[in-house]
Amino acid sequence: MKRQEGRAASAACLIFAICLAGLLAASVVGFAPAQSQAPDFTPRDEAPEEFPDHPGRHDTFYTCTACHAFGLVAQQGMSRARWDGTLDFMTERHGMPKLEGKEREAVLDYLERAFPERSPTGRGWQNPFLKQ
Amino acid sequence: MTNKKIERSLEELYRDDPERADSMVLGRKSGMNRRGFLEGTGLAALGGLVGGIIPFSQNIPEGFIPAALAQDKSAAPAPTTPAPAPAAAPPAKKGPQFLDFPGKDKGLIVIGDRPLVAETPENLLNDDTTPINKFFIRNNGQIPDAAKEPDKWKITIDGEVNKKVEITLGELKTKFRAQTQRMVLECGGNGRSFYTPPASGNQWTNGGAGCAEWTGVRLGDVLKTAGLKPSAIYTAHYGSDLHLSGDASRPTLSRGVRLAKAMDPNSLIVWAMNGQPLPAIHGGPVRLVYPGWAGSASHKWLTRIWIRDKEHDGPGMTGTSYRLTIKPMVPGDKADPKNFKILESMPVRSVITNPANGTKLAAGTREVNLRGASWAGDLTVRRVDVSSDFGQSWQPAGLAPPKNKYDWQRWTASVKLPTDGYYEIWCRATDSAGKMQPHVAPYWNPSGYGGNPFHRIAVLVG
Repeated sequence: MKRQEGRAASAACLIFAICLAGLLAASVVGFAPAQSQAPDFTPRDEAPEEFPDHPGRHDTFYTCTACHAFGLVAQQGMSRARWDGTLDFMTERHGMPKLEGKEREAVLDYLERAFPERSPTGRGWQNPFLKQ
Repeated sequence: MTNKKIERSLEELYRDDPERADSMVLGRKSGMNRRGFLEGTGLAALGGLVGGIIPFSQNIPEGFIPAALAQDKSAAPAPTTPAPAPAAAPPAKKGPQFLDFPGKDKGLIVIGDRPLVAETPENLLNDDTTPINKFFIRNNGQIPDAAKEPDKWKITIDGEVNKKVEITLGELKTKFRAQTQRMVLECGGNGRSFYTPPASGNQWTNGGAGCAEWTGVRLGDVLKTAGLKPSAIYTAHYGSDLHLSGDASRPTLSRGVRLAKAMDPNSLIVWAMNGQPLPAIHGGPVRLVYPGWAGSASHKWLTRIWIRDKEHDGPGMTGTSYRLTIKPMVPGDKADPKNFKILESMPVRSVITNPANGTKLAAGTREVNLRGASWAGDLTVRRVDVSSDFGQSWQPAGLAPPKNKYDWQRWTASVKLPTDGYYEIWCRATDSAGKMQPHVAPYWNPSGYGGNPFHRIAVLVG
């Protein structure tokens, strides 16, 4: 529990830091300050508990939801290698702090187990060339 | 075992142990022959699940789940009046999330909350012109507030031009000749959910498309006033929406097109949609519309067009984003970034817009009239065919010409239903170059562009 609280706090700090950076940048180039979604649409509240319960859920949830809804994650189904590539993409394209070492492994463990590559039935056409 | 119980757990059953699921649900045993084998009890069970007998059952391939079960229940028409909610009803965990957004039809399906992305079920594309309230929503970043003084909105054109231009929307309206055209706007990822294995990104079915009347001026006319240098070969677009992180220095998305597309007389800077001021949720007060190409090029909340002397490399232009493979790759394999080319024109697609998937017809109905739409990126649609026997036979639909270039083409057909029972109606379009929609999403790529398989609906007679 202690560790989880620590993570929540660090996630909150990270979000704050990003927002602060956004505000500073905005004031330089004269844009309106960082805004929330338009008032006529409020994203649905999400909680980690809505998603498959496996180790690493809490860390994964707060890593991804610093920017986007976790529902976007939950609608994907990928191999570990593709999830790994997705983490790189989020860092390179969207400025997510780079995940390394044990943290990265924990997030990948969760994503691979909770949202694996799958077809709706788990059968049907199977590709003979694909090595998992 | 009751049908209710089966329906609730069917997907889980198949996911956990497909062989056992087939055996329990359908009485089908794996490996009996290559088509799979539906024993009498299995066929009855399958009929029970979809609520009727299945004509043409001999055509059903192994591992096939009927459209009525396989497709999102969202495709069925949403109730026009909300059912009275029982007191303290728990939030629905399963099934689609319907959009609740001012001015939008409550039948739209939310694909993502943050960023807000919502698609139009095929049956809500039944109007000749897609009304604003039914038009799909795609955001990449935060949604900007509506502009307070739209005519003072400023667009900058710079880069490989003789003189940098700053022009307001008010000036665009008065200094250039405006035109109105009905044109398809389609998300580049439309059809992504049909890929196997799943491609990454928002899981669109066919509803990331609509056809509206756009009013604006030719982008080419505006670019000419800046004076294009011989080095000008590509555009780069920027808008006012903030990145989801709130980092104002990071463009949410910045895509561009080859100069030839920018100079096409159908590529417009628009400020009105179906005769109304362009709504903020659709990029108002002013956006680009490059008809027929991936929607992300049609930048919303347009603030700047940077003319470049090379292919644009902004966010959304590189890696596997909005790109197709050059050499076909093994589905699900690691992608080689060098093996990708930019997605430009969208592929041919057709949808059945009436009846809706999941429609029940009165017992004794022997014929059903179909209505649909079809479009093909930069091309036109040559023909549309429909089938009501799982693709064993096809018949041509009556196809209307487009009203103007880049308009979609409406089609109608009527299919016979020899008995009561469960039917699937499929449609496929062929473009003017002879390319036909395939049975499955073709040429797998990690981010799932180009997914245009047949559209399927299920109907139940009796």
